[in-house]
Amino acid sequence: MQKLLAGIIYTLSGALGVLTFLYPFFDPLTGSTPVGDVQQQVAPLLTAALVGLALLALLVELQGQSLSAKTIAMLGVLVAVTSVLRFIEVAIPLPGGFSPIFAPIIIAGYVFGPRFGFLMGAFTLLTSALLTGGVGPWLPFQMFTAGWAGMTAGWLPHQGRRWELPLIYAFGFAWGLLYGVIINLYFWPFILGPLDQSWRYGLSLPETLARYAAFYATTSLAWDVIRAIGNVALLLVLAAPMIKALTRFRLRFHFEVSRG
Amino acid sequence: MADARALLLWAVTVLLGASYSRNPLYSLLLLLMTLWVYDTAGAADVVSASTGSGRPSPLAPLRFALIAVPLGALFNALTSHFGATVLLRLPAWLPLLGGALTLEALAFGAINGLNLTVIFSGFAAFNQAVATRELLKLTPRAFHESGVVLSIALTFIPQTTHSLHRIREAQAVRGHRLRGLRDWLPIFTPLLVSALERALGLAEAMVARGYASVTDTAQPLRTQGLLALGLLVLLGGWLGYLFTPALRPVLLGVGALGVALMLTALWLAGRGNRHTVYRPRRWRAQDTWIVAGCLLALGTLLSRRAWMVYSPYPQLAWPNFDPLTALGLLGLLVPGLIPAREKTRDAGEMGDE
Repeated sequence: MQKLLAGIIYTLSGALGVLTFLYPFFDPLTGSTPVGDVQQQVAPLLTAALVGLALLALLVELQGQSLSAKTIAMLGVLVAVTSVLRFIEVAIPLPGGFSPIFAPIIIAGYVFGPRFGFLMGAFTLLTSALLTGGVGPWLPFQMFTAGWAGMTAGWLPHQGRRWELPLIYAFGFAWGLLYGVIINLYFWPFILGPLDQSWRYGLSLPETLARYAAFYATTSLAWDVIRAIGNVALLLVLAAPMIKALTRFRLRFHFEVSRG
Repeated sequence: MADARALLLWAVTVLLGASYSRNPLYSLLLLLMTLWVYDTAGAADVVSASTGSGRPSPLAPLRFALIAVPLGALFNALTSHFGATVLLRLPAWLPLLGGALTLEALAFGAINGLNLTVIFSGFAAFNQAVATRELLKLTPRAFHESGVVLSIALTFIPQTTHSLHRIREAQAVRGHRLRGLRDWLPIFTPLLVSALERALGLAEAMVARGYASVTDTAQPLRTQGLLALGLLVLLGGWLGYLFTPALRPVLLGVGALGVALMLTALWLAGRGNRHTVYRPRRWRAQDTWIVAGCLLALGTLLSRRAWMVYSPYPQLAWPNFDPLTALGLLGLLVPGLIPAREKTRDAGEMGDE
């Protein structure tokens, strides 16, 4: 019963998060009457609150499943190592959207599974925000998206040595772009920019998609391509030794003496 | 330093103000107030450095403004070709950019940049004024494990940074030079392995001190069920709100019920975790003043929304300004006034000792 309820909570909070991120796209499907500025201004705040609630539900369920002392210690220490990398990113501006935090999140998710990957992604963003003064309404969105990157890394098939690394490189490249595509959605409805690139209440789905594509291509694509290439470059260097080290420690962490 | 909860309410009020205001005069007023608070919090931080309060923001608000406002104006002018006052025309064959560059589009973009700066500045001031440990104390009891993970991470960061320097020095002594990305591998691998070794030691120490020694700390079925139900009701209310405009007031209530169920589940989940504080922080008069200032500003935002509306299209005109609205918004200045007085009092107390 507990597993069933946990599954329901994962599905519902995931659905709430995804639908809230995609709100600008499916909202026009409702065919509701445009209500002008009020809706335009309230939408970003409402979506931030909903994503925050979905994140809280997911976190309380994930941590509620008896996180062992070993998992907590390893998670805390890995988050510290990755946050130091984020600190380097803040101190020394790196080109475009390149950020060194995604490679460790992806590898940790791949080795330890989706639950650990989600927590690693979410906590890394939270810890580094606390350290670098980055707490703000954007934080739940960043935590959710980085959590998804770690979680989906845990779903990658462990295909053996031949395909393992190329798969992770491709995954890192894809998430370099996806992170930008997803994270832009939270502030896109808030920005009142050029008409052919701005979200407006009551637009049709194709029109909304076309406007978002134009907005993304103009403002973020080049930035995100640099992030994607940076992810692949870091994974080329780090993936093999990090997977080896983490797998060895996973075996040590899970070592237990049975009562026989 | 003011209470973290009062300052959080202040930051959220600034966020709401920036979201509501399209009038550049009020946005400018909000920006000036947040800059004042940011500056005061920074000054207070020098005095209370020993308490570890506040952290440097990666980008100061004024520097952010210098980037966001011109960039917003330029971007909007280049891509939006509406407005009566044409400054110059770009060739029509240029994709997206071709067309008239108007003064109105420049102004509109600059206002967007200004509003983004207000949000950034508000949270930069919040981050400056509230210590990391105070933020950690805001963690609800339901998130006990999350709080432990965060505490471990924050505690280990200085150690990790120290290890990084030591490993770099050791490798440099061996003749290792950092020329490219691949040269980081002999530094990163020992850093990771030493961190994981520390994690093993820490886990053993936690178990030895009885951490998670109870047989089953998983969420009780009731809490899980309530959380799932709350999510279901919230999701249903949210989808219903979007797809059935006629029933919106009812569905708003359904969504609120979902939120209430979720909050009850969180309360139940946190009830088992006892939270003790060695030196509890008292709610002081200054915190009440901050909350009162926020309420005044919130009331102004809600009751005088008409004054917040402004559009430079079709032709640029001077925005309206209502002194009463501005006075109401001045409630957000309270955190900028209080720390200076507190600082003087603290200095006096130190002198007395």
